[in-house]
Amino acid sequence: MPLLAADNIQKSFPGVQVLGGVSFDVRAGEVHAFVGENGAGKSTLMNILAGVHQPDAGTISFNGRGAVMLADEHAAQQLGIAIVFQERSLFPTLSVAENIFAARQPAGRFGRIDRARMFAEARALLDRLGLGAVSPATPLSELSPAGQQMVEIAKALSLDAKLMIFDEPTAALTPAETSALFRVILGLRADGVGVIYISHRLEEIFCIADRVTVLRDGKLQGTLSVAATGTDDLVRRMVGREVALHQRRVDRVADANPALLEVRGLSDAGALHHARPFLRDISFSVRAGEILVCAGLAGAGRTELALSLFGLRPRAAGEILIDGRPVRINSPADAIRAGLGYASEDRKELGLFLDRTIAENIAVAKLDQFGSWWLDDRRGERVAEEFRLKLRIVCRGPRQTVQTLSGGNQQKVALAKWLLADPRVLIVDEPTRGIDVGAKAEVHQLLFDLARQGKAVIVISSDFPEALALADRIIVMREGRVSGELDGPGATEERIMRLASVGAEPWLP
Amino acid sequence: MITETENPGTRPAGHETGGFRRLPVLTRETWLLLFTTVIFAAFSVGYNITFLSAANFSAILRNLAFEGMLAVGMMLLIVGGMFDLSVGAMASLAGVVTGWLMKYAGVPVPLAILGGLAVAAAGGLLNGFVVARVRVNPLITTLGTMGIFQGVALLIGGPGITFLPASFTRVGQAELLGLQMPVWLLLALAVAAHYALAHTRFFRKYYFIGSNEKAARLSGINVERMQMLGFTLAGVTAGLAGIVYSSRIATASATVGVGAELQAITAVILGGGSLAGGRGTIRGAMIGVFFMALMKNVLIISRVSSEWQGIVLGGVLVAAVALDSVMTRRRG
Repeated sequence: MPLLAADNIQKSFPGVQVLGGVSFDVRAGEVHAFVGENGAGKSTLMNILAGVHQPDAGTISFNGRGAVMLADEHAAQQLGIAIVFQERSLFPTLSVAENIFAARQPAGRFGRIDRARMFAEARALLDRLGLGAVSPATPLSELSPAGQQMVEIAKALSLDAKLMIFDEPTAALTPAETSALFRVILGLRADGVGVIYISHRLEEIFCIADRVTVLRDGKLQGTLSVAATGTDDLVRRMVGREVALHQRRVDRVADANPALLEVRGLSDAGALHHARPFLRDISFSVRAGEILVCAGLAGAGRTELALSLFGLRPRAAGEILIDGRPVRINSPADAIRAGLGYASEDRKELGLFLDRTIAENIAVAKLDQFGSWWLDDRRGERVAEEFRLKLRIVCRGPRQTVQTLSGGNQQKVALAKWLLADPRVLIVDEPTRGIDVGAKAEVHQLLFDLARQGKAVIVISSDFPEALALADRIIVMREGRVSGELDGPGATEERIMRLASVGAEPWLP
Repeated sequence: MITETENPGTRPAGHETGGFRRLPVLTRETWLLLFTTVIFAAFSVGYNITFLSAANFSAILRNLAFEGMLAVGMMLLIVGGMFDLSVGAMASLAGVVTGWLMKYAGVPVPLAILGGLAVAAAGGLLNGFVVARVRVNPLITTLGTMGIFQGVALLIGGPGITFLPASFTRVGQAELLGLQMPVWLLLALAVAAHYALAHTRFFRKYYFIGSNEKAARLSGINVERMQMLGFTLAGVTAGLAGIVYSSRIATASATVGVGAELQAITAVILGGGSLAGGRGTIRGAMIGVFFMALMKNVLIISRVSSEWQGIVLGGVLVAAVALDSVMTRRRG
C-alpha cells in the first residue's frame, strides 16, 4: 500500500480551475518528482497536501488512514507531512536554532525553553546538511540566501516527517549545497520516508527521482518511471509542444561595435549590513548589440554588481562610462537617466507592485509617456494590451492585479516594464529563475530581439546551459571579482564552472 | 492603468479574481457611502424637524472642516505607506503662531497666516527628513514631534490667544450659500487633492511607493524626496486647518488639535485607506470624515450620552476593516 494516495483531487479558485481531478500516489522510500510549467497546478497540489488549501473534491489517504482531513498546516504536520516552501518562511532577526524549531523548541518544566538541547539538536541537523561551519546561534539575517534556504530545509527535517515535500529547493543553492541536499534526500529515502520533489531543473530529476509525475494545466499527463523516460519526453508532456531548449546563438554581429557600457576598476563601499567592501576592482565592457552573460555561483557578487551599477549600492572606487563618457550614477533615477535598466531577480520584493494592475506595473518606470501632468490611464491600458499580445502574458486584461498571475507571467510583466522604458543597456538578473520551460524560451527570444535592436544586454545567470545559449561573451565572477572572461562560442559548462568555483570559499559569511 | 479611473486606490487585493456570477464586490469606500446614506435617510424621516434643519446641517459640516483638512494630508501619507501622529499638535501650533504674530508681534494678518503655514511646513519637513533621510520609523518620529509641537504650542499660546483681529476672524466666519468659509475651503482642498492624487503622474507615485517601496526606488522614483514632500504637505494642511479654525472661533488655542490626528486616521481608514499603504482616495477620506461627523450628530440628536461616541465610532472602525478583510479572504 502506498504511503500517500490522492484520488481525483479538484480545486478551483474564483474564475479558474487549478486542478482538474488529479490522482497519484507516493510510496514510502521513494523520491517522486513533480514537473510542469508554472501555473500547471504543482504548488496548489502541494499546498493541499500541506493543509494550506482544502480540495473542492477528491480524497487523500495517508499512512494507512483513508480520507484524511488536512484542515490546516498544523493538521498536516501532526500526520507527518512536512514541506520546504519555495518562498522562505523564516524569521530574520532570530537565531538559526530558533528558526529551525519555531514554536516547537524543546522545553523543560513550566515550558521553559531548554536552550542547550535546542542548540545541540540544531547542531546535529546542520551537520547532517553539511553546514558544519554555521553556528546555531547565528542570527538568520547574517546568512546568505542559500544559507537561509538550507535552514528552511533543516526546519522541515526537524519535524521527522513520514512525507517530505521539497518545492524548488535548489533554486538558490550552489552545486555543493545541492549535492549535500541530495545526499540528505537519498538518506531519507533509505530510511523509508516518502519524498516529493518539485524542480524546474530536469537534470536534477534524472539525478535523484524514482518516478516523475507531469502536470499540465491542472491535469495529469502521466506518472512515469524515471529510468523509462528522457528529457525530450518530459518536456513534450509538460508543454504539449516541441520546444527548442537552449539553442545556441549564431548571429553574432556585435563584435565590431564600440563599447556602449564600460566599467573600470569598480569597488564598492559595502552595503549597510555588510561593512567590508565586497566587489573589488571589476572591469568589463559590453557592446551595442551584444549579450554579455555574467555567470557565477550564488553569492559571487553578481547581483551586488548590478545594484552598484544601478546606484543602489555605494561605490568606493571605479568609473562607469557610457559611449566612452563617464556618467555619475548615485541613485536608480540617475541610472535610468543614463540609459540603464535593471530587472531584478527578486520579482516580488524589488520588481513588482503586487496589488497594482498590470498596466500600472508596466508604466511605472516611464510614467512621463502617459502625460506630463495628468495621467492617461486608458493609454496605459492600451500599451499593456500591446505587451500582453507581444509577450503572450496570460491574463484577463490590463486591469488585473499582478499578484494573481503565475510566476512566468509576473516575470513577463517585470520585463515589459523595462521594454517600455527602453534603456540602452538592460541588466536582467536571473531572468528565467522559477519560470517554466515555455516561458523561458520566450524570455530568451526577447533578449535576442533586444540585442538585435542594438541594445547592450547583460544577463546574470546561474544556469550554465542558459549562459551558453545566450552569450556572445561571458564574464565569470567569484568572491566579488571577475575571475575570467570567455568567448561565447568557445565556452563550455566545465570552463565556466572552473572559473566560478576553483579556490572558492564556502558560502558562509 | 486602474480599474475605475475615478477610484484608483480602493480596489481590494484580488478583486479581479471574482467570478462573473458573484455579487459585485464593494469597496470599503462604497460600503461606507451606502451606510452613510442609510443613516442619513433614516434620521431624515425619524427626526425630520431637528435633523433636516439647515442649522443642523450647517453645524455638521462646520464641525467636520477641521478634521477634514487633517484627513486630506493624512490620506496622502497613508497612500504612500506612511502616517503622521503629529498633525493635531501641528494644527494647534500653526494656530497659536499665527495668533501670536498678529496679536503680539504686530504682524499684518496675511503675513501672520503665511508665518503659521511656514512653521507648519517646516515641522512637516522635519518629520519627512527624519523619516526619509535618517530612516526613523514614522510612528516613532511623529510620536516624538507630536510632543515637541504640542509643547511649543503651549509655550506660545498658553491658555489661548483670544480676541483676534476682526480682519482675521471675518474670513473664518464668513458665509456663502449658507455654508461657512471653512467648509468651502475644505471642499476646494479636497477636490483639488482628490484629482491630483488620482490622476496626476506626480502624485500617482505615492501609490507605487506605498505598494512596494523598494520596487518604486528601482523604477527610478525618488522615494526620499516624495516622502519628505508628503510630510511637508501633511504639515501644511494641518497648519491650514489650525489657522482656519482659530479664525472661525476667534481664538488661537494650543489644544484644539489634541486627539484630532487619531480622528483623521480613523476617517482615512474608514474611507478605504490601509496602513499597509498603496490604497485609498481623498474622496474616500472625505466620506469617512462626513460619516464620523454625521454619527456624532445623530448620537447627540438621539440624546445618547457623549461617552457613547467613542464606543460607537470605534466599533464601526473595527467592523468596517474586519468586513473588508473577511470579504477579501472569501474571494481567495
